[in-house]
Amino acid sequence: MIGTIPKPFEEIMDAVAGYEKLAVIGCDGCAKVCMTGGSDQVEEMAEKLRNQGKNVVLAVTPDRTCYVSKTRTALDPHMDELKQAEAVVILGCGGAAQITRKVTEDYELTIPVKIGLDSVGHMDTLVMGELALEQCQECGECILNETGGICPVTKCAKSLLNGPCGGAQNGKCEVDSERDCAWILIYNRMTALGESDKLRRFMDAKDYSKMAKPRTLNIKERRVA
Amino acid sequence: MKLTELFDKGEFVITSEVGPVKGCLRSSNGDEPPRCAREAEMVRECVHAINVTDNQSAVMRLGSLAASVKLRGKGFEPIYQMTCRDRNRIALQSDLLGACSLGIDNVLCLTGDYTSLGDHKAAKSVFDIDSVQLLKIAKGLNEGHDMMGNTLTKSTDLALGAVVNPNFEPLDLQLLKMEKKIEAGAQFFQTQAVYDPAVFEKMVKKTEGFGVPIQYGIVVIKSPQMGRFMNENVSGITVPDRIIEEMSSVSKEDRKKRATEITTELVREIAPMAQGVHFMPLGWSDIVPTVVDAIKGTV
Ligand code: SF4
Ligand code: SF4
Repeated sequence: MIGTIPKPFEEIMDAVAGYEKLAVIGCDGCAKVCMTGGSDQVEEMAEKLRNQGKNVVLAVTPDRTCYVSKTRTALDPHMDELKQAEAVVILGCGGAAQITRKVTEDYELTIPVKIGLDSVGHMDTLVMGELALEQCQECGECILNETGGICPVTKCAKSLLNGPCGGAQNGKCEVDSERDCAWILIYNRMTALGESDKLRRFMDAKDYSKMAKPRTLNIKERRVA
Repeated sequence: MKLTELFDKGEFVITSEVGPVKGCLRSSNGDEPPRCAREAEMVRECVHAINVTDNQSAVMRLGSLAASVKLRGKGFEPIYQMTCRDRNRIALQSDLLGACSLGIDNVLCLTGDYTSLGDHKAAKSVFDIDSVQLLKIAKGLNEGHDMMGNTLTKSTDLALGAVVNPNFEPLDLQLLKMEKKIEAGAQFFQTQAVYDPAVFEKMVKKTEGFGVPIQYGIVVIKSPQMGRFMNENVSGITVPDRIIEEMSSVSKEDRKKRATEITTELVREIAPMAQGVHFMPLGWSDIVPTVVDAIKGTV
């Protein structure tokens, strides 16, 4: 999922300064899992905005706000309210906000779409409602087969490909003593698998052109460009 | 002169580190020489070469290349330290060409401390390539081509150094990387600071067949606070309590004297296992000549 955390409320109030009638749109996908933009949080946000004197004309939570079709399905029945809104507050990831902007444009509405969350990465949920971890940065050329299923691109602070820096202490990363050194994890895992010799192989510099932004995914042809 | 020539002659190679200043080096009349130049002067007669750090600890300073070139102009032999933290593969290769063009003969290739440890915590970390890849790229430049295989109008001619941390656990993982560095092109090694002869000996035994010279690295412990600080904040180094206690037991005025003695003892005991010694005096370069004098005959 895409991890999100709430922006400070004052920042949201700044963003909607001058707009009285607001629509609040959440996301029942990732933002729900992060407890930042599910229907509960959308209701809470609507309430908070009302308490600040705003007129919330619409509060709705599409199933997945990063899908054009799902966002439209949720918004189509509420066109009248949406047309009244002077601005939209999104409780979703940066993608959700941009899809919503596109949808409003498709509706021929020129209204500002403001975001109420900060997006913090592709996260894997370890404990539901408690803890998620960043483990993959979608580098476009997965090397997990070479590294015991542990990603050094993401889990090593320096994205080192040929082994650890000299900084780990007691198995922890020099950058954060709470976090395991990815390379020690990889080494231990490869040793357990009897494959530590494979780590002797020189790993070439990564082809970062595969990560060059923004990428377009041609789903039909199963190809990225 | 390339350090490799000294190692080849069987010379016990002595180097010391200076950190460039946070400021510009253009001198006006009456300016006193910058600290890094003064420190280099202190060790002029007793070292073969001087390591020049590259924005060490991710603290922004004068660049390592500029400082190296300045020192070379004053008759020192610089070892240009290059980290992968701040430059991508284009800039690193370009700077290697620049270094050779400006008369630099020695480069030490490192990963680099992480950005968040320094004074520009919000900076974007680059780490486009790692130290093993950097060594391989630098070797390629020496052979006349860039990392994409494009021919250079003229090859570089740089001696390539690397670092290894004997304190690392598990050591075998650190040595696996050391072997990769050698295969990639590393011709000599400087170690992270070691204070336990047994730790150094263990590494020496395991690297006997590697066929590369290793310089024993030592950071001068200037005060008990610094020893404790290093244990808590500098990853990959362990300062034994014994040394911290010894530094606490003397008055402030006597610390430098005691630090000189402790450094001498350690170098005497550990350096004979190595092919050279590398001092990291962190501002106390003036003690290096005394230590070098005291170990004459033992290495
Ligand atoms: S190597 Fe790492 S960042 Fe790249 S795709 Fe695989 S898991 Fe993701
Ligand atoms: S300590 Fe380990 S995880 Fe952290 S930067 Fe170094 S190699 Fe990467």
